[in-house]
Amino acid sequence: MRITIKTIIAALLFLLATQASASADLADAAKGLLSKNYSDKILATETIAASGDPRSAFLLEALLGGNLYATKSGNRLVSREKVSDGYQIKDIVTDEDLGVVQSGDLSKIRINNRMRGLIKDLVGRLTLLNEDPALRLKAADSVFKSRPKEMIVPLSDALAAEADSSVAAAMRRALAALNFVHGDTPEAQAEALLILEEQSDPEVKSLLSAEANRLAAIVNPSPEVQEFAARVDRALAKVDEKLAMLGIIENIFQGISLGSVLLLAAIGLAITFGVMGVINMAHGEMVMIGAYTTYVVQELCRNFAPDLLVYSLIAAIPAAFIVAGLCGVAIERSIIRFLYGRPLETLLATWGLSLILQQFVRTIFGPTNKEVSSPEWLSGTLEITGGLALTYNRIAIILFAAAVLFMLLLVLRKTSFGLQMRAVTQNRRMAASMGIRTGWVDAMTFGLGSGVAGMAGVALSQIDNVSPNLGQAYIVDSFMVVVFGGVGNLWGTLVGALSLGVTNKFLEPYTGAVLAKICILVFIILFIQKRPRGLFALKGRAVEN
Amino acid sequence: MANTIFKTNKGPFVSLMTGLPGGGKTFLGILLVAALLVPLSNLLLPETSPFHVPTYLVSLMGKYVCFALLALSVDLIWGFAGILSLGHGAFFALGGYAMGMYLMRQIGDRGVYGNPVLPDFMVFLNWTELPWYWYGFDMFPFAMLMVLLVPGVLAFVFGWFAFRSRVTGVYLSIITQAMTYALLLAFFRNDMGFGGNNGLTDFKDLLGFDLQVTGTRLSLFVASVIALGLGYLVCCFITQSKLGRVLVAIRDAESRTRFSGYRVEYYKLFVFVVSAVLAGIAGALYVPQVGIINPSEFSPANSIEVVIWVAVGGRGTLWGAVLGAFLVNWGKSYFTGSFPEAWLYMLGGLFVFTTLFLPKGIVGTSATWIEKLKNRRRESPDIGAPLSVKEE
Amino acid sequence: MLGLRKVAGVITGAAMLATSAFGLGTAQAADDVIKVGVLHSLSGTMAISETTLKDAVLMMVDDLNKNGGLLGKKVEAVVVDPASNWPLFAEKARELIEVDKVDVVFGCWTSVSRKSVLPVFEELNSMLFYPVQYEGEESSRNVFYTGAAPNQQAIPAVEYLMSEEGGNVKRWVLAGTDYVYPRTTNKILESFLKSKGVAEEDIMINYTPFGHSDWQTIVSDIKKFGSEGKKTAVVSTINGDANVPFYKELGNQGIDAADIPVVAFSVGEEELAGLDTAPLVGHLAAWNYFMSVESEENDAFIKQWKAFIGDDKRVTNDPMEATYIGFKMWTQAVEQAGTTDVDAVRQAMYGQKVKNLTGGTAVMNTNHHLSKPVLIGEIQDNGQIETVWRTEDVVVGDAWSDYIPESAKLIADWTYPYVCGGCEKPMY
Repeated sequence: MRITIKTIIAALLFLLATQASASADLADAAKGLLSKNYSDKILATETIAASGDPRSAFLLEALLGGNLYATKSGNRLVSREKVSDGYQIKDIVTDEDLGVVQSGDLSKIRINNRMRGLIKDLVGRLTLLNEDPALRLKAADSVFKSRPKEMIVPLSDALAAEADSSVAAAMRRALAALNFVHGDTPEAQAEALLILEEQSDPEVKSLLSAEANRLAAIVNPSPEVQEFAARVDRALAKVDEKLAMLGIIENIFQGISLGSVLLLAAIGLAITFGVMGVINMAHGEMVMIGAYTTYVVQELCRNFAPDLLVYSLIAAIPAAFIVAGLCGVAIERSIIRFLYGRPLETLLATWGLSLILQQFVRTIFGPTNKEVSSPEWLSGTLEITGGLALTYNRIAIILFAAAVLFMLLLVLRKTSFGLQMRAVTQNRRMAASMGIRTGWVDAMTFGLGSGVAGMAGVALSQIDNVSPNLGQAYIVDSFMVVVFGGVGNLWGTLVGALSLGVTNKFLEPYTGAVLAKICILVFIILFIQKRPRGLFALKGRAVEN
Repeated sequence: MANTIFKTNKGPFVSLMTGLPGGGKTFLGILLVAALLVPLSNLLLPETSPFHVPTYLVSLMGKYVCFALLALSVDLIWGFAGILSLGHGAFFALGGYAMGMYLMRQIGDRGVYGNPVLPDFMVFLNWTELPWYWYGFDMFPFAMLMVLLVPGVLAFVFGWFAFRSRVTGVYLSIITQAMTYALLLAFFRNDMGFGGNNGLTDFKDLLGFDLQVTGTRLSLFVASVIALGLGYLVCCFITQSKLGRVLVAIRDAESRTRFSGYRVEYYKLFVFVVSAVLAGIAGALYVPQVGIINPSEFSPANSIEVVIWVAVGGRGTLWGAVLGAFLVNWGKSYFTGSFPEAWLYMLGGLFVFTTLFLPKGIVGTSATWIEKLKNRRRESPDIGAPLSVKEE
Repeated sequence: MLGLRKVAGVITGAAMLATSAFGLGTAQAADDVIKVGVLHSLSGTMAISETTLKDAVLMMVDDLNKNGGLLGKKVEAVVVDPASNWPLFAEKARELIEVDKVDVVFGCWTSVSRKSVLPVFEELNSMLFYPVQYEGEESSRNVFYTGAAPNQQAIPAVEYLMSEEGGNVKRWVLAGTDYVYPRTTNKILESFLKSKGVAEEDIMINYTPFGHSDWQTIVSDIKKFGSEGKKTAVVSTINGDANVPFYKELGNQGIDAADIPVVAFSVGEEELAGLDTAPLVGHLAAWNYFMSVESEENDAFIKQWKAFIGDDKRVTNDPMEATYIGFKMWTQAVEQAGTTDVDAVRQAMYGQKVKNLTGGTAVMNTNHHLSKPVLIGEIQDNGQIETVWRTEDVVVGDAWSDYIPESAKLIADWTYPYVCGGCEKPMY
C-alpha cells in the first residue's frame, strides 16, 4: 500500500510538474485566484494542482464547492464557516484561524464552467487514493470521462490497491477505456475491449463507435485490422443491445413516474367527482393550496427551526392535508351542499370558485413562483448501471402515490366513516333513515378529497412551479384520468393513470411530447365510445342517474 | 301555444314569426334597432354627442354579438337537448380559422416577406409550397363553405360516434373537453401549418374592404347582428317544432324517449351539428372584428366560460343565453379595465352567486318571480331534485 | 312567459348600465395630466412574469411625479388587465388609446400579444414600448422594442460557448417551447452554427408545448446526446412556466454545468426565484442586464425597487431594465419634443440616450431597436446570475436577422430616405 501511494504521488508530481514549468509555492500560486480574469485563474488552478502540496486538493475542493473567499482587507484566501455571530474564517493554505468576520468583509472567489470542469478533473486525479470510497468512485469516473494517457499507470496502481468492489469496477472500466484509446498493442486493446463490451454506458458506446468509424475508414485494411474491426463491431452491438434494454426499462420507469403524478393529481378528484358526483373544477386549486402550504411550512422552518428544514417536506404532508381539507369542508358547507343532484351546476360554481382562489393566492403570495427546495435526501439519482439512473424524487413520488392510494382504500374499506360514505353516496335517503348524518358525511368526504388533493400538491411542489396557475395545469388531465378509469372507482383511477402515463412515455420518443399527448386524448375519446362509462364501470341502477 | 305552430296553414316563416314567444319578438326588435341605430349614430352624430357610439364600442359590441351567437348555439344543445358540450369553443375556433385562412390569403404579397402565395409564417418556416388544406381559401365562397362544413363535419363525426355509443352526461362533457384540448395542442404545433401559437393575424382586407375602416367595422357589426337574429330564428324554429319537443323529452328522460320509439341519437346528432355550424359562423364573424385567431380559442377554459354565459343568462331560454353572453363579457371588459386587480373575484363571485341564488339564470329566475307575483302560490324550489330545467 | 315590457326593461336597463359604465371611462383627458397606459397581464398564465413589469412602470411614474412630473404636468398610469387573453389584449389596447386617451403604452410580453395589438397601434397611430427579448423579424412604426433582438442575445451566447473560455462546445441541443420566438431563434442559430462548420448530426432540435411539465424523456435524451464524446451544450428557449420543472429535472438527473451547460434566454432572476438553484450552479443565461452587476445606477435602481415594492427579497431582471430604459427614453423624448404628440415624440426618440444600469449607454436606433451590451452569466447558488463575459461595447439591435435569407435583405429604418420597417430599397 505504502509503496503504491509513494509511486503514485511521485508519478503525479512528475506529471504535474511537467505541465507547469515552475513548481511554485502553494500560497503564491493561490494568489493568482484573486485575479478578475478567468485565464489567470485557470493558470493559477493548474499551478496549485501542480504544486504537489498536500493542501492543494483541499484548496481546490473549497474553490469548487464555493467556499473560498478573499478577505477584503488583506486579500487573504480563506474558507468560512457559519457561526452564531458571523463567519469563522480560516486561512486556506496555513489553516490558521483568523477569527470571526461578517459576510460583507469577504468576497467570494468566482469560478466559471471551464474552471469547474478543470478542477473536477484535477481533483479527480488527486483523490484516486482518498479514504472516502465515494470520492474514489467520482475520481475513477472523472478519469473515465477525460481519459488522459498519463493516468494509465497511477490508475492501475490504484486499482491494485482498491478494496471496494464497486469502486474497483469503475476503475477497471476507466482503465479499460484508457487502454482501449491509448493502448499500444492490439492485445492490450483487445483485452480492454473484453471489459468494455460488458458495459452499458452511452459513453462506452460513443468510444466504440468512434473506433469502429476510424477502422472502417482505413483503406485496404490488413486482415488483423479487419478482424479487430469485426470484434469492435460485435462489442458495439452488444453494448447497443444492453442500452436498448435499459432504454425500455427507463421508459417504463418514466411512464410509471408520470402515471403516479397523474394518479396523485387525480385521486382527490376521484373522490369529489367520482364518488360524490361534484364536477369539481376547483380541484386543481386544492392541489395548489397544498403546494403553497408546503411553501409556508418550509418558510416557517427556515425562519424558526433551520435544523428541521430537511424534514419540512414531511411535516408539510399532514399540514397540506389539513389546510386543503378544511378548505374543502368550508366549500362543501357554503356552496356544494346546495347543489347536490345538479352536477352540471357544481361545475359552474366550482369554476367561479377556482377563479377566486387563484386570485386570492395571487393577492396573498404575489403572482411569481415560490421556491420550494428539495431536501438533500430527495435530490440526485440512484445509479443502477452506467446507462440507467433513476432520480430519487421520482422514486419518492411513486412511493408516495402508492401510499396515498393505499391509505385512501383503507379509509374507504375499513373505517366506519368509509362505510357511511359509501352508504350515503349509494343511497342517500336510506342512509339518512339509518341514522347517518348525511350532511356531516358529505362535508367530510369532500374534505377528504380536497385534503388528498392538497397532499398531491406537496409532491407536485417538488417537480413543478409553485404558482397560482399550478392547479390549472392538472385539471384537464385529472378529469381524463378519472373518466378513463371509470367514475367512482379508485382502482380504475390507478389503472387509468398508470396506463396513460406509460403509453405517453412510449409514444413520446416517436412522436414528440405534443403529438403523444394528442394521441392519448384521441385514444380516450375513442375508448369512451367503446366503454361509455370508463375502464371499470360501476354497474347497477344508481349509475343511470 | 308553441304547439299551434304546425296547425297553421301559413308559410313556414310566417308561422314561425307568429309562433315566436313574446320575448322573442322583442328580442328581434332590439336586434333590428341595434343594427340600424348603432351605425347611424356612429356615422351621423358628432363625437361630442352623448348618443354617439364610438367606433371602439362598435367593435366591442360586434365581438359580443359573436359571443352571443356562440352562447345561443350552446344553449340550443344544452338547454334543449341536455348535451353539455365543454368543447364548443372548438367549433367556434374552427370557423374562425376558416375565415382567418381566407383573410390570410387576401394579404397576398403585402406580407413582410412579400411572398404572393405563402403567408409570412410559412415563408419563415421554410415551406416552399402551400399545404393542400390551404387550397381554395383564396376564394371567398369556398372559405364560407368551409366555415360551415368544417365545424359541421367534425360535429357530425364526433356526434355520430358519441351518441351512437350512448355516451351521455358528464362523460360526454369530458370527451368534448378532450376534443378541444387535443385540437388546442394540435394547433399550437407550428408544423401543423396554422401559424402555431401566434395563429393568424395581420389581416388587411375582406372582400376588398379595408378591415381598419369604420365602414367595414360597421358592416361587420351589422352582419353579426343579422347572423345572431337568423341564428335565433333557426333555434326558435327547431325548439318550437315537434323536433324540439322530442329534444326536450330526451333532455328530461332519455331512456323513456328511446323506449317510446324515437331514435334518440339522430335527434341529438342533428341538433349537435346545427349548433356546431352556428358556433362556426360566430367564429367566422368574430375573427375579422378582433383581428386575430389563435389556438387559445380552443382552450378548455374558453369553452367552460361559454357554458357559464348560458347559465348566467338562463339555460333553456334562448335569449337568456344572449343576455348572459352580453352581461358576462361586458362585465369582463368593464372590470378588467376598472378593477384590474380584483376583477377575478367579481367574476368568480358572479358565477357562484348565479348558481346558488339564480339556478335558472337571470331570465329563468326572473320569470319564476313574476309567476310568483302573479299567482303567489308557487311551490318552493326543490333543491336536490334531479336535474331538470323547467320551461318558460 | 315574460311580458314584453319586462323584457324590454331588462335589456334597456342592461344597455343603460353598459353605456354608463363605458361612459365613466370616456371622460375627456384632463389637460394637466399625461396618461401612460400599462398593458400587462395581471391574471392568467402570464401574470407570473408581467405583473412585475406593471409594478416597474408604476414605480417609474411615481418617481417622475415626485420629481415634478413631465412638462409640468402630472403623469397618471392607467392600468388594465388583459388577462393573458390575446384578443383581449387588442380590445384593451383600443380601450386605452380611444377611451382613456393615453399618450403612450408600456406593455405586452408574449409575441402573440404584441402581434395582436400591433394593428391597433398602427391604425390609431399610438406608441407602444415593448420590453421583452423577442424573435425580431419586425419593426413597426408604432412600436419601440427595448428588449433584445436575437443578435443581442442568442448569437453572442453561442459564440461564447464555442470559445475556449466557454468550453469549446461542439455539439448543440436547441430546446425550445413551440412558438415563434424559439422557432426563429433556433432557425437563426442553426444557420449560424452551420456557417461555423457544425455538422447536421451535431445539432438536436426539440420543441415542447407551453407549460410542459414532464421533462424526464427530454432531459434523459439530452443526457444521452451529450455523452457521445463531444462537448455538448443546451441552448434553451424554453418559455416561462415550463422552466421550473425543466431545471428541477436537470438538477435531479444530475446534469452538471461542467459537463453539459445549459444557456437560457428566457430565464432571469425572477424565474430563478422560484427555484432552489444549488444544483444549477454554472448553467448560463444571456441577457442585457443582471441584477448582480455592480454599478451606481443599478444599486440605486434595486434600492428604489425594493423600497417601492416593500419587499427586500424581490429581484430585478432584464425586462425591468428594458422597461426602465424605455420609460426614461420616452420622458426624455417628450421633454425634447415639448409635447406628447406621437409623431413628434417618435422623431425625438431617435438617437435618444439613456445610461444602462449595467454601465455604458443605450441608444435608440432608427430601426426602433436599442443598442445595448450583451452579458453572459452563470447561475449562482443564491439565485443570482454572475457575469462571466460581456461585450466590449454595445451591440446594435438588428430587426431583420442576417442569418435568415429572406430577411437578410430587408432593412428597417424609419428615417429618410427609407422610412420603412422592412424594405429592400429606400421608399424615397
